[in-house]
Amino acid sequence: MVKEGLELEITELRLGLPGRDVAEKMMKKRAFTEMIMTSSGSNNSDQCESGVVSSGGDVDKVNDSPAAKSQVVGWPPVCSYRRKNSCKEALTTKAGLGYVKVSMDGVPYLRKMDLGSSQGYDDLAFALEKLFGFHGIGVALKDGEKCEYVTIYEDKDGDWMLAGDVPWGMFIESCKRLRIMKRSDATGFGLQPRGVEEC
Amino acid sequence: MNYFPDEVIEHVFDFVTSHKDRNTISLVCKSWYKIERFSRQQVFIGNCYAINPERLLRRFPCFKSLTLKGKPHFADFNLVPHEWGGFVQPWIEALARGRVGLEELRLKRMVVTDESLELLSRSFASFKSLVLVSCEGFTTDGLASIAANCRHLQELDLQENEIDDHRGQWLSCFPDTCTTLVTLNFACLEGETNLVALERLVARSPNLKSLKLNRAVPLDALARLMLCAPQIVDLGVGSYENDPDSESYLKLKAAIKKCTSLRSLSGFLEAAPHCLSAFHPICHNLTSLNLSYAAEIHGSHLIKLIQHCKNLQRLWILDSIGDNGLEVVASTCKELQELRVFPCDLVGVGDTTVTEEGLVAISAGCPKLHSILYFCNQMTNAALIIVAKNCPNFIRFRLCILEPNKPDHETSQPLDEGFGAIVKACKSLRRLSVSGLLTDQVFYYIGMYANQLEMLSIAFAGDTDKGMLSVLNGCKKMRKLEIRDSPFGDKALLADVNKYETMRSLWMSSCEVTLSGCKRLAQKAPWLNVEIINENDNNRMEQNGHEGRQKVDKMYLYRTVVGTRMDVPPFVWIL
Repeated sequence: MVKEGLELEITELRLGLPGRDVAEKMMKKRAFTEMIMTSSGSNNSDQCESGVVSSGGDVDKVNDSPAAKSQVVGWPPVCSYRRKNSCKEALTTKAGLGYVKVSMDGVPYLRKMDLGSSQGYDDLAFALEKLFGFHGIGVALKDGEKCEYVTIYEDKDGDWMLAGDVPWGMFIESCKRLRIMKRSDATGFGLQPRGVEEC
Repeated sequence: MNYFPDEVIEHVFDFVTSHKDRNTISLVCKSWYKIERFSRQQVFIGNCYAINPERLLRRFPCFKSLTLKGKPHFADFNLVPHEWGGFVQPWIEALARGRVGLEELRLKRMVVTDESLELLSRSFASFKSLVLVSCEGFTTDGLASIAANCRHLQELDLQENEIDDHRGQWLSCFPDTCTTLVTLNFACLEGETNLVALERLVARSPNLKSLKLNRAVPLDALARLMLCAPQIVDLGVGSYENDPDSESYLKLKAAIKKCTSLRSLSGFLEAAPHCLSAFHPICHNLTSLNLSYAAEIHGSHLIKLIQHCKNLQRLWILDSIGDNGLEVVASTCKELQELRVFPCDLVGVGDTTVTEEGLVAISAGCPKLHSILYFCNQMTNAALIIVAKNCPNFIRFRLCILEPNKPDHETSQPLDEGFGAIVKACKSLRRLSVSGLLTDQVFYYIGMYANQLEMLSIAFAGDTDKGMLSVLNGCKKMRKLEIRDSPFGDKALLADVNKYETMRSLWMSSCEVTLSGCKRLAQKAPWLNVEIINENDNNRMEQNGHEGRQKVDKMYLYRTVVGTRMDVPPFVWIL
């Protein structure tokens, strides 16, 4: 079945093969999510992002999580309100809603900003500078070498990516939170490799 | 047969408030039944389909407070489709028609619409209190009706509901003349809040004791609110991010110091943890602390906060506290009665979770502990045996090992002996949830020792029908039994049909019960509604030739005096 085939592919991607195309992954995930949304009898569309597998063997949704183990519907028994609001899983469903948290190394407080109010990476850079009153963030987004700080973001999968690599639209849809970190700390951080040129 | 006039007996009955006791009183004799009927003020209906509004009104014409519960408990975990039922509309319509002097409505797991809220707000002139827990189907427009029309509103308590936030102005719908608010809880609203309207409302509510804000209320607003309401007893903080040197933070610190009546703290939905120190001055007054939604509060900031909370009776926390954090709780919170530890990370194995060590530490340090909900990564029989010895007073014991079927991680044995020790020692145990690798043996223990057990939750446990039979035969006080993914089938289901008349409900999903088994049960017990919930293939079960032996995905049965319900959706089949 086509559905099953797609599921297996997605599972493979979750193992984090190096050199994987970020954009491709985004597109595949989007298509799959659409499939889930339109599949009949699926009432749990709000759970699609978290990706759970029915214990009965019926594959309605697919394991979307970085962990290799499969999940079961309604397990662990945490009520859906709590899932959405406190757990790490909750953050998956909030991506793309506009407001993301921004933290900056060395600054003891978090800020929140509305990604939707920026038109592009330059705009974002400007906004971040205003937010923290710090110059020299903006350049980091586009040109890695020049600046002391880089801007990274956490995407829907929980992976940390370097900002500026993917098209803006794709970025704001998947960005859950931003972090401005020192370039020197970033190298050991385990960032996903830069996306391939094709988009 | 009464030695006193009816009025005197009625006055005596006024002192009996527990609905269980009142039910018992009404069985003594016809005269008492009659007196009790007319004097019952608060009615509790644990299953909205066990009875209907007409019969409620016939029996209790004078009640003022109604509590209704709708969907089964497993609906919390997305095991019940949204359209299953539990609509409050027919109840409100009937109560309005019957001109009930309704003052209080408490709903849990019910479907509430804006239409229902509007009707509610217009139909009962003395309406004072609305408590909605885990409900859905309404928007802030419905809240606006309540705010606008309930002249004497004292309590609006919204707990963990799914509310469509239209970002409207529901808070401004409270008229200026509304000064009676005692409780206002809107923590579960996602959208923006009209801060000006909120501040004005709080300022004109001198009786306000409980205020729980949503995440859209920032720190500076919190400071102003607390200054308006220093009498606050129960506070839910919304957004708590700020710059520690800012003026509003200093104002907040000053405001907090004035809140000497503050006993309960919750929220911190968004939080910069190092600012928690603002609350340290009042921590010794706190009896209840709920940080289970505060994912950003952990580590040393959390520990420091807890070390100030010496009088805590209730603590809800995330497992990021770790075993070390629980040891601090154990050495600090000697008055602790209820502990809930929720999982932070549902996706994979978390970085910090808690283990059996944390549980043992708590049991050793907190002698008054009687209720626990504990999500953990691993458990051992030895630990549970120690816990049972330390805390024989458990009333509620819910243990959830995150990985299904996980054995004792030291001995690789099932956890039968550990749970067995718990039920044997805790003679007052009323609620139990089991997890991990479990055989029929644990159910043998439960049936043998858990004499007061009223609610039991089973998942991925047991070997044969004997397990379920032990429970059904042994637990005389069982009211709610919910089972998922366990190998119990028709033999256990059908062994004692009359047992279900003594229970509120039974849920079985992904077990071994078959359609023919359920049909037979329904035939033998016409006073039960046996519902088959089959959302994936509508009516496939009926059409399939081998339907008899077909395993039922989800079965929910409950006793009822009003037969099949009329609002059954297409994917539910009542046998």
